Amino acid sequence: MFKKVLIANRGEIALRINRAAHELGVQTVAIFSEADRQSQHVRFADEAYCVGPGPVVRSYLNIPNIISAALISGADAIHPGYGFLAENARFAEIARDHGLVFIGPTPSVISSMGDKATARRLMAEAGVPTTPGSDIVASVDDARAVIEKIGYPVLLKATAGGGGKGMRAVYEAGELETAFATAQAEAEASFKDGRMYVEKLIIEPRHIEVQVLGDEHGNIVHLGERDCSIQKPSHQKLIEEAPAPALPDGVRASLHATAIAACRAVNYTNAGTLEFLVSGEQVYFMEMNTRIQVEHPVTEMVYGVDLVKEQIRIAAGEPLTVTQAELHPNGHAIEVRVNAEDPEQNFAPAAGTLGRVEFPGGPGVRVDTHVYGGATIPPYYDSMIAKIIAHGATREAAIARMERALSETRIEGVKTTIDFCRDVLRDPAFRAAGVGVEWLKTDFMPGHHALSA
Amino acid sequence: MFDETIARRVRPLAEAFRDAALVRLTVHEDDFELEFRRAASPVAAAPAPDVAAEPAAAPSSAPEVLTSDVVGVVRFMRPPAVEGQRLEGDRDLAFVETLGIRNPVRSHGSGTLAAVFVTDGQPVEYGQPLFAIER
Repeated sequence: MFKKVLIANRGEIALRINRAAHELGVQTVAIFSEADRQSQHVRFADEAYCVGPGPVVRSYLNIPNIISAALISGADAIHPGYGFLAENARFAEIARDHGLVFIGPTPSVISSMGDKATARRLMAEAGVPTTPGSDIVASVDDARAVIEKIGYPVLLKATAGGGGKGMRAVYEAGELETAFATAQAEAEASFKDGRMYVEKLIIEPRHIEVQVLGDEHGNIVHLGERDCSIQKPSHQKLIEEAPAPALPDGVRASLHATAIAACRAVNYTNAGTLEFLVSGEQVYFMEMNTRIQVEHPVTEMVYGVDLVKEQIRIAAGEPLTVTQAELHPNGHAIEVRVNAEDPEQNFAPAAGTLGRVEFPGGPGVRVDTHVYGGATIPPYYDSMIAKIIAHGATREAAIARMERALSETRIEGVKTTIDFCRDVLRDPAFRAAGVGVEWLKTDFMPGHHALSA
Repeated sequence: MFDETIARRVRPLAEAFRDAALVRLTVHEDDFELEFRRAASPVAAAPAPDVAAEPAAAPSSAPEVLTSDVVGVVRFMRPPAVEGQRLEGDRDLAFVETLGIRNPVRSHGSGTLAAVFVTDGQPVEYGQPLFAIER
């Protein structure tokens, strides 16, 4: 096992990794930007290094400073968390070249699976169904040529993208030029990689993803699926649950089998997620995230496995602590993302200083957060300030528990998504289960706006 | 504005400065700036309690603090510059080594080296004060 791990991230996920490392008896090194000096992820780490000013390109994406901090602190491994450098194969390679273990898949797997266009080609070759689309399109004209073949509507996606960044739905030709430019600019700013590809937009699909773990001894397991269909108009996930409700057993089994086959095809190691669009009985591979995901806690609650600890153990060369035969889902879990955003203003992010902050507790409730009363929300980063996760014996019990948990939550000083999510949980269509990724935008929000106006 | 609130903020800082063996302590906030300097430092300054009574009155020629742009290990040039030394022109004082790359720390003009905040071979983070130069 490692002696010391550098956590190349911020916010709740940095804290989450810090906890897993400490529980394994591993010391931690935090990195932080000047805007995050007072952050909890700095306070709870054993040591911490400032790596740059607030803007991410100069701090949390500053590879030389981050690697240097790992070296001077004597860390033996780097955990990248999600976002930032988590799917940057070059970063993983540079870490390895400096004698540091990158806690994730190998650089070559990251570049083939993390690069969404290449991953789609590989998966198609392995017999995994993919949505009609393109390889990398160099320009808006190339994109237009592809769309002439597959037809509108389409999704423009950044090959390095994630979290809805660098992604735009385009429904008609007139929107293409602006959408391409803004998505590409967003990808450049967020990932330093502006390569784009085009994908056919499947109407009313559900977003269902499969969690996998692979070790260096050839063991690969899946930990079931998550339904992440409750997405903002920007396609960023807002509410996730495990297992996916109202899914035919045949579809569920096929998703799991496909995920395992895909991982075997590339000798996948560490934690990963295969994202699928599911439309009726049709399953389309969308992309693979070669990292831990924001919504991993719902899987942890249902399977009783600490995914972040497994990641660290796998990277240290240890075998998986569980076999597929030992993995059984128990009950149902739901996660609500608490974002510092105004749902009434198209989820415009809010920065500022928090007033009173109270989080829920009690049976079956988990809160992953880095904020506290009086904390500052810097303007440079993702607006998510907390994740609230509720577990229950059934979906109904988990929803009831989540409603109770949200009713206990108070965050003053910034607008949040809490009340909005409570209203979603009460909606009959959500309760009935199985809504698609466009449901929030096209069905729920118009009525919700009318009610709250 | 030097009011009750500021006085409440200044006193603990002044006490901390007095009790810790600090040479210099600077606090920048939106609406006020405060600097304590130990009289024994190469830069002559009023004793801490007096400075504390005048939070808005920063010295007219506050030394320029050179900070590290990178995370790495600081290495002094040979011979190392010492506190109180006169520096002529744009001079290399040290470099910060990051992944084998030497990032020079220059004096950016003449002056007197008022303070050296680090030791040779010390790991430094982004923004860490390295030297202070009195222009």
